[in-house]
Parts: sequence; structure tokens; C-alpha cells
Amino acid sequence: MPQIDQEDRRQFLKVVGLTGAVAAGSEFTLSDLRGEVEGETAGELAAMGEAISEDLTGELDAGLLGSELAALEGQIAQLDELRAMGVPAEDSTAYQELAEPGWAIHEHLVEVGFFESVEENLPEFTPEHIAATARELISTGALASALLELGYTEEELTSTVVNVVNNKERLAMWVPTKNIPAGVEGFDPANIAPLHQRAAAGVLLWTDYLDTYLWQNEVLLTDTILDNNYGDLKQMYAGLHLLANAAEDLAGAQELSDAQLTAALSAGAAMMIVGQEDLTNDVMRITDEMRAPRTGGA
Amino acid sequence: MASIQEVDKAAQAAQNIEMVEVEDGYTLTNLPDESITHQFDIEQIPQRDVTQEDLHASAVDNPESWLMYGGNYQQQRYTSADVITPDNVENLQMEYLVQSGVASSMEGVPIVVPGDPPVMYQTNGPNHAKAINARTGETLWSYTYANPQGLLLCCDANNRGFAVYGDKVYMTTLDSGVVALNRYTGQEAWYKSTGDHEIGYSATWAPVVYEGQVITGSAGGEYGVSGFVAALDPESGDEIWRTNTTPPEEWAGDSHEHGAGTVWMTPTIDPDSGMIHAPVGNPGPDFDGTVRPGPNRYTIGTLTLSADDGSIQWHYGESPHDVWDYDSSATKIRVNDMEMGDETRDVVLSPGKTAWVYTMDAENGRLLERSEETTQHINMWKMIPHTDEDRRVAFVPGAHGGNDWQPPSYSHETGLMYMNQNNAPHEIFWEEAQYEAGQTYWGGGLNDWPDVTEPADWNGNLSAIVAVDPASGDVVWRDWISQEVTSDYLWGGSITTATGLMFTGTQNGNIIAYDGESGDRLWQFQLGAPICSSLSSWYDPGEGKQYVAVQVGGSGWLHGGRRGSTIAVFGLSEE
Repeated sequence: MPQIDQEDRRQFLKVVGLTGAVAAGSEFTLSDLRGEVEGETAGELAAMGEAISEDLTGELDAGLLGSELAALEGQIAQLDELRAMGVPAEDSTAYQELAEPGWAIHEHLVEVGFFESVEENLPEFTPEHIAATARELISTGALASALLELGYTEEELTSTVVNVVNNKERLAMWVPTKNIPAGVEGFDPANIAPLHQRAAAGVLLWTDYLDTYLWQNEVLLTDTILDNNYGDLKQMYAGLHLLANAAEDLAGAQELSDAQLTAALSAGAAMMIVGQEDLTNDVMRITDEMRAPRTGGA
Repeated sequence: MASIQEVDKAAQAAQNIEMVEVEDGYTLTNLPDESITHQFDIEQIPQRDVTQEDLHASAVDNPESWLMYGGNYQQQRYTSADVITPDNVENLQMEYLVQSGVASSMEGVPIVVPGDPPVMYQTNGPNHAKAINARTGETLWSYTYANPQGLLLCCDANNRGFAVYGDKVYMTTLDSGVVALNRYTGQEAWYKSTGDHEIGYSATWAPVVYEGQVITGSAGGEYGVSGFVAALDPESGDEIWRTNTTPPEEWAGDSHEHGAGTVWMTPTIDPDSGMIHAPVGNPGPDFDGTVRPGPNRYTIGTLTLSADDGSIQWHYGESPHDVWDYDSSATKIRVNDMEMGDETRDVVLSPGKTAWVYTMDAENGRLLERSEETTQHINMWKMIPHTDEDRRVAFVPGAHGGNDWQPPSYSHETGLMYMNQNNAPHEIFWEEAQYEAGQTYWGGGLNDWPDVTEPADWNGNLSAIVAVDPASGDVVWRDWISQEVTSDYLWGGSITTATGLMFTGTQNGNIIAYDGESGDRLWQFQLGAPICSSLSSWYDPGEGKQYVAVQVGGSGWLHGGRRGSTIAVFGLSEE
């Protein structure tokens, strides 16, 4: 999981508006902050969630989403085993299997226009939207509790949310497709997937690559790189689970409030985006300082 | 039949063509309406068709020939000719100069078909070509292809040479095609378009002929195309197979449609296994990865295909999800039975813009070793700030590489790989308007040295000629190139000889012979204009001489250097 330090914590508390005694800079978890911040019961996040809900109710297949979400949770539970496996064997498909339920969810959401609706109704990753999303995540335990049940620790979830909130500049680079201008260098925005689909597809494409990538690059790998791979995957799949969980809830139980729905979708996408960028930097861009010593092929 | 004193009408037509800068690159004007062949004394060309066996023997088994871009299929750029040695190279003499008559991009490799006399086939920009008596330098025929109006060229009007097979030579064309010429007459046999130049496809590399197929590729990675490798029938130009390098299942949404991954240098082939090792360039759009998440397979690295049907065998990515334009376009080198550790391995060697040499298992692309850095690494892989106005990062290797397209060479004698590399810093920056709706934001901009904030610890050298042991990854020697003229970065390839020599050229006009083992400069000759090409060498038994040929004249992306139009040929008699 992302390594956060005292300065990261201080920045995070500032963004979510906590500057009193609780913000003294000591160690904390999201649970510790619950009650210190207020989420929205009515307001912009709720209005966005309501619009998405109106768009998509009746379109989503609750049965498919329920079974694939269960499969996804089963795969997330395998992450520890993937780390223990180390470098995959030549014919490994372990990481591809990790991605399979996610792809099934992704395909269904593409088919029903879920991502277009989400992108249409949610704003860009502005600092204000990120802060509001974080406050909603902190103020209600519902979204985090599902991840805690999957084996995430309070500390892991906290560091993930702090990492997302403190990376608002990186998130701002991910522009909604509707805001991409046409007619530039021959690119047609019609060929670019909606923002939240890009976040999810990126996670799944990176995961699919890992069997091959780790096996091909074993001579460069260290335990630190493999640990980071594990942590970044946990971060990405926390985000994917939030998004899938929101879609499944929307299709069936509808237990999440409108504001929680928005928070799950925004935070989920943000975790997937920051997580895949961390993975790229931690695992794929291996400098001479990071790599295992040269052996000359011996 | 015309006499040599006559005006070369094909050259004249090419001289009239003007390259003009447009908003997104370059285009050509004053193009001829139709292709022109001008014949001189074509009777000098021996009438013997080039066979597949000839191609297999090129440069190594038969040092009298240099029949393809990389010397042999494995693109080792190695000749077994052994007349020129470290002890006598100081006696190497200029034999003749040929004036192509067209002062355009000079990046091509002259190929040589053995015979009495041997015949050289040479190309330069913009799609001008000649057949030349390789003993005397006499032009035998001259040809200019009639490109259409409306070409979109990123970098220059490049062409890097012919392939040869049977009674034909094959050249890619700037409008993204392949033209076949009768090599005895210079007349067009067929033309085949492989991509729509109006949407940005173009073609500049030398194709390669293998077992009844002309293997070609794709350029236009800066224009939102989708890359491919294709095989054409040598007799008809009909397409036999085509493999797309951005398959939809590897990309998010429909981003594969503009995913680039072009193959704009000559693929390497291993005849023993029937594998094609294709060099693959950047993903598109170049600098914005957020619209194409994931690793962007199969860009920036080596893509291995079956020569039977183009099916993908493996890919090794050197900069997954790249946003620095770190193409891996240099030709790959295949070496079988290379000693490595306690065993011998079949390997593929790749020098990327990342300034490392990747030694890969030829069977599956598994990395066996990555070398020491071959140029400096400063701020490498550092993300460019996007949100602050006028923020920029100077980084090394810059957008030229490491190793851009310049083909490396490999010596059977020393076991080393030789590369012309760039160490100049560049800056990529994002423009303030990028996130205003309705404004462009794709590419940002690029500053070339010296218009760059000098990064800390940069050693001040623009380029380096580097020898690497691909088994150990050791940099064995490195000749830093530091010039006062900022355009003097290296921009061409090298060759090796059976006697342990390595020849290369520099942008300030020197052709140099190095001791391949020690890196000592043993001989050099000033040719008066930039050398942006990759050399060739052959032995002529009729003369008892080994020759080295090099094209002389400016070319290149950003700084082109002074234009020239010369093919210089050096020779040394055996004792």
C-alpha cells in the first residue's frame, strides 16, 4: 500500500477541513476521524448520485453484477497468495484470473452505458470534489466496511484515501472525455472511453500484463518491487471494488445513499487511477537504482 | 539509352521538389506528375537474378554481397570481408564519389549485388534512387517516384534504402507504399499502397524480402494512425498478411484506433526459426497517457511475429504506457548461440531510447540482462508537471534517445554491440491552454538543446559511440562526442568487420574506423557534410578490394545539418 508520512497526513487533514486537535499530525485511521467531519445527506454529491440512479435504474443486471462482484471479492482475497507466489511461472495466468471478474463487470457496464452516465453526471477531479468525496467516505462506514471484510486493514484504507486526496494534481490530468477538444492531431474524442471506464480498464489491462511482465523481467525484480506490486494492486482493487459495489447496489438493494453512491464512484475511480500510476512508477519503470544487481545472465 | 553526360531527368525532377514546413510537420511541393526513370548504360548490369540463397548468404557467408539494409537478416551489420584490418586501415583510400544530384535526406544504406561488375542500389529522399557501377561509381539508371500532393511527414523526406530479390528492387514510398522496380532497367514493375497517407501514414525504411514475402511496416505515429507489419507478394505486391500492433483487446475503449505503435524501421528476421523481430515505436497520443490507460501493448519494444502468417509470438515492452516518446525503433539484432553465463543462448538485442541494451531470450522475450546505462540517465521517467503554467523538466535521454532509429551493429569477432547514441537533454512541457475546453492540449511542446535548462550533473556531451557486451551488460567502451555545433549529434548507424573493426560516421562529417575491442580511433576521413546514414561494405574479387560505402548529407528530426548529395566509397586492395 502507499507509504504515507506525517506531511502526507497533515496535507490530507487540511484538504478535508480538519484543523483542530484531531489534526495535530498524529497517527490516525479513517475510523478515528469519523464524527469529526460531516458528509452530505443532501447537496451536490447527492444530486449527482440521484441523477446517475435515475439514468441507470432498470438497466443494470443485478444477478450478473452480484455474482461477478462475489467472484471479484474471491480474487481480491487471493492477493496475499499472489504476493507469496513471487515471480509467476512462464505459463502463469494467475494475474489474468484476478482480472476476469472485473472484465465481466466492465463489459456489462459498457453495454448499458453506465460509464457514460457516470461521466456525464460527475464533475472533473477538482480539489473541491475530491475533498467532498473524501469527507463522505470518512463520515460513513458503509463503503469502507465491505473492504474491511475483504481483509483490508484500517491502516491500508487510510493510506489509500490519503494517497488519493494528496494526488489531486495527478487526478486532474485525467480529463472527462466530454471535455477533450476535437480536431487535434487527428484524434477523435469519440475513440476515447469515458473517464471512469478508462480508470477501470486501465486497472484490468495492467493486471492482465503482470503474468508476462513479471516473468519476463525477473532479472530486474527485487522484493521491494514485488511488495510494491502487491500494495499497488490492493489500492487499485479497492477502487474497483468500490465502483463495482456501487453498481451492484444500484442494480439491486439500493442501500447506499445518493451521496454515498457518488462518493463510491468518484473515490473508486480515483483509487484506480492513482493506483495504476503508482504501479507504473513502482513496478514498470525500474531504474538502475531500483533493480536487482546484474548477473550477466548467469 | 542516354550517355552519362546527359542531364539526369529523374534527378532533375527530384531537385525541383521542395520540402516545406506545415503546422504539424512537413509536406512536399513541386512533385512530378508521374514517376521518372532515366536510363544510362544499363547494359553494364549483369543479368543474374538474386535468389533466396543469395539473400541467406548476404554479407556473412558471402562477403561479396550486401543485399539488405542490415547486411544480413539478423541485422548484425557485419561483413566477413577481411581485407581491411586494424593494421592497414590507415591505407584506406577514397575510390570514388557519386553525386546523386538530390540534396535531400541522406539516411539510406547502399546495397550491393555481386557480379562483374557489382551493382550498387542506393536511395535518398524524397524517394530518389540509383543503380551504380560499384567499381567505377558510374550511374546506370536513375529514378524518382511521383509522390502525391498532401503528404504529412513528421521529420524529413527520408528513405533508407532498397531491398532486392529476383529481377527487382523494392523501396518504400513517402505516401505509405512500396514500389518495385526492375533492377536491370529501373522501370516500375508495381506499386502497392499499404496505408492512407491522407490520415498520416508514411513509409521511410528499407523493406526486407524473405521467402516469397516483402516485409514492410508503418510510420505516422505522431498522427494518430494504428501501426502494422505487412507482407507483400514480391511479384505482384498483393498483400499476404497484415498484423496490427494495437489489437483492440489490449486497449481501453476504442483508443487502439489511434494507438500508433508503428514499425518504422526494418524488421529483423531469424531464418532458422522463421521469427520476425519488429521494432515498435511510441503509443499515441505521444504525451497524454490518460486517454490510453494500461501498458499499451504492443508499443515501444520488440514485437516478434511468425514469418509464416504474421501471428504474434511475444512482445517485450521497454517503456510500458510511455509518455516521453521513448520509441524502440532501432533495428533489433538477432544472435544465435551467444555465450552467456555457462550456456549458449539465442538472443535478441535491443537498444532503446531508454539508453539500455536489452538482451532477450529469442524464444519468448524473457529479459536475460539489461545493460549499464549507455548514456546518462537524468530525470528519466519523471512526469512532466501538467497543472502549473510553464513548468517543464529537462531530461536525459531526451526525445532523441538513447538510441533513436540509428541501427546498431554486432561483431562476431569481439562479441560486442556498437551504437550511436544521443545524450542531449530535452524539455517537454505542457501548455497553459491545455485544459481549457475547446483548446488543444494533446502534445504540449518540446525544446531541443541548447534551448533547455541544463540539468544538474549533465556531462555536456551531445552524443556517444558506445560498445556494450550484451552477455554481461557491461559498457566496454564509450567515445563521448562533444561538439561546439549543437546539431552535431549522431544520426546514423555503424558496421563491423571480420577483422574487429567498427566503422561509423558523425554529424560533423567524419567517417571513423574504430578498433572494436579498445575503442581506439584508427582512421578517419572528413567528408564535409553530416553523415546521417548507415554504412555498408563488401569485397569485390574482380578488383581484389574491400569497399566501404557511406552516404553523405544532412538529415534528421530537429536539426538536419547541412544538406549533401554524395555517396562516398572507400577501398583497400588486398596485399
